[in-house]
Amino acid sequence: MSGSLVILDPTAEQEPIGRRPATRPDQLTGPLGLIDIAKPRGDVFLNEVERLLRADLPDLEIIRLRKPTYTKPSPSDLRAKVASRCRAVIQALAD
Amino acid sequence: MSRLPAAGSTAPAFSLGDRAGGQVDLTEVAAPGTLLFFFKHDCDTCDLTAPLVVRLQDALATSGLLFVGVSQDDPSHTTVFVDRHQLSFPIALDSELHVSDDYGFDAVPALVLLGPDRQVLASYEGFARTDLAGLIEFAAKQCGAETPPIVTESDGLPKMRPGCGSKAHAPDVAQRLAVRRGAAVLSARRVRVPVDDDPFEFLAAQGLGDGLPVVPPTEERVLRMLEGTSRSPSDVVAHIPPNLTPATVEKVAINAVMSGCLPEYLPVVIAAAEAACTDEFNLHGVLATTYFATPVIVVNGPIRDEIDVNCGRNMFGQGFRANATIGRALQLLVRNVGGGRPGDVDMSTLGQPGKFTCCVGEREDLSPWEPLHVERGFSPETSTVTVFAGEAPRAIRDQLSRSARSLGASMGWCLETMAHPKLHRMGEVLLVVSPEHARTFKADGYSKADLRARIQEVTARPLRDLLPNDECQKGTVPAGLPPDWKGPDGQPTEEALARPVPKFKENSDILIMVGGGTAGKFSAFLGGWASGTMGSMAVTREICR
Repeated sequence: MSGSLVILDPTAEQEPIGRRPATRPDQLTGPLGLIDIAKPRGDVFLNEVERLLRADLPDLEIIRLRKPTYTKPSPSDLRAKVASRCRAVIQALAD
Repeated sequence: MSRLPAAGSTAPAFSLGDRAGGQVDLTEVAAPGTLLFFFKHDCDTCDLTAPLVVRLQDALATSGLLFVGVSQDDPSHTTVFVDRHQLSFPIALDSELHVSDDYGFDAVPALVLLGPDRQVLASYEGFARTDLAGLIEFAAKQCGAETPPIVTESDGLPKMRPGCGSKAHAPDVAQRLAVRRGAAVLSARRVRVPVDDDPFEFLAAQGLGDGLPVVPPTEERVLRMLEGTSRSPSDVVAHIPPNLTPATVEKVAINAVMSGCLPEYLPVVIAAAEAACTDEFNLHGVLATTYFATPVIVVNGPIRDEIDVNCGRNMFGQGFRANATIGRALQLLVRNVGGGRPGDVDMSTLGQPGKFTCCVGEREDLSPWEPLHVERGFSPETSTVTVFAGEAPRAIRDQLSRSARSLGASMGWCLETMAHPKLHRMGEVLLVVSPEHARTFKADGYSKADLRARIQEVTARPLRDLLPNDECQKGTVPAGLPPDWKGPDGQPTEEALARPVPKFKENSDILIMVGGGTAGKFSAFLGGWASGTMGSMAVTREICR
């Protein structure tokens, strides 16, 4: 094989920006977002999670959030809401 | 097509070696000017022209007009020609043919008369008496001299004689020159395959393929691919999910090369990428889902025959280059530009063979109905792609029905199995009616609307039978039902439970096309994915070349 073959890069030639996951809280202090991604029975799962949390942590502030559809990335307003209002989130995939 | 600089334009500068090791430089042209004479040694028309150039040189000897020969040959063949015609002016050697390519003529001889600042005063290629006479007249005028009597009534010169093909047009040379000329338009990063690496293995090791070997996208191949479109290589075609990175025409061409496309397929790949990267199609979701969906490309209109997209026997199968490579190019684009890779963002549980490639044509000539693209708002003469987020094709087997009504029922019952028989009010499906089945519908005057209605009729079941129950916990869930079907508790009302619910939410969710071989009473359907505007909807785009 010839060693001089030059090819063109088929990729986007972009280096992903490295982001570290947010620091995990030591304890749940809220506000806690419970995000339903809109799959069937996501509400069943999150209702149970909320019930358990309220039993254990009655003072925890819980915010219920929902994606319009599981088929698309979260819309920017939902992402903004999570970033500005939630200290932690639990997202339900369900089915 | 010739790109010989016309009068009024500025000719390219050059600096070439001569046979004695010196340089012939055409950076600056002093008054009154310079006449360039491009030739090759084995050209009769060059032999016809050379003595005339010598006579012109003699006639204008005192004027200061410079004569420069540019040879397309190596030094020894150049000497043969120079000696044959006793040329006394400087001869530049253009054996690499870069200058010939820059001057863009198709044939030699080519004569270019330049004034100061390399402004072209006259130019022609081949031989025509009128062109030669015009050029001589310009040259004399530029020198303030009388027009020398070279072209006269008794000169014995032919009226015209075609030139000989420029060496720059020899196929292997043209490709090399095209790379040199076009390299500037290619902005992708160049990657040098390491010495002794097999390019195919190298590309696979970089994770740039789909498991099958890909064609190494060299500059030559990409430039040739770009000839398939009139669009600029830097045009952004679409932002490819999941990373939503811009894909230029050049990046599409690179991936089309890798997939094995011919240049004439490129507009189809571009249109497919445009269609798939719309909010309606939702390629991000189609890619990321754990389901089977993948872009299914349907080609309609004149281009289908022009580039031989198979719409007949084995249309979903192997053996047809356009089908195999167009769909693959879109998949490679998603992988390489968009960053969508299996097991990463592509989370399909089982996948399906169509995730390598899925592209077919519609067999419009054997359809009793208007083709898919016409139904979707385009003229029959417009070439289009329709992208549909589909599963693999599934069989509809009915060799017995001789009436449209019966055949429509068969199709409906088969379609009811899409995703799950109890799952109704689904989104779109692509129904591919084979020619033999199409003939049955035609004989009974069945329209597409009739077929859709029949499918909905035979699949309509009381909602009660479709709900999840102990017998089968899967089914049509109340959450997706219209609000007026439900009571205050969110559960279906008694009236709603008795309501017949057809398989599809809307009749128009059943996309119908004709395709396949003429033998076989088999049709097929490709189930869709999540429904409506919250999932993926088929999108049709015109193919622009």
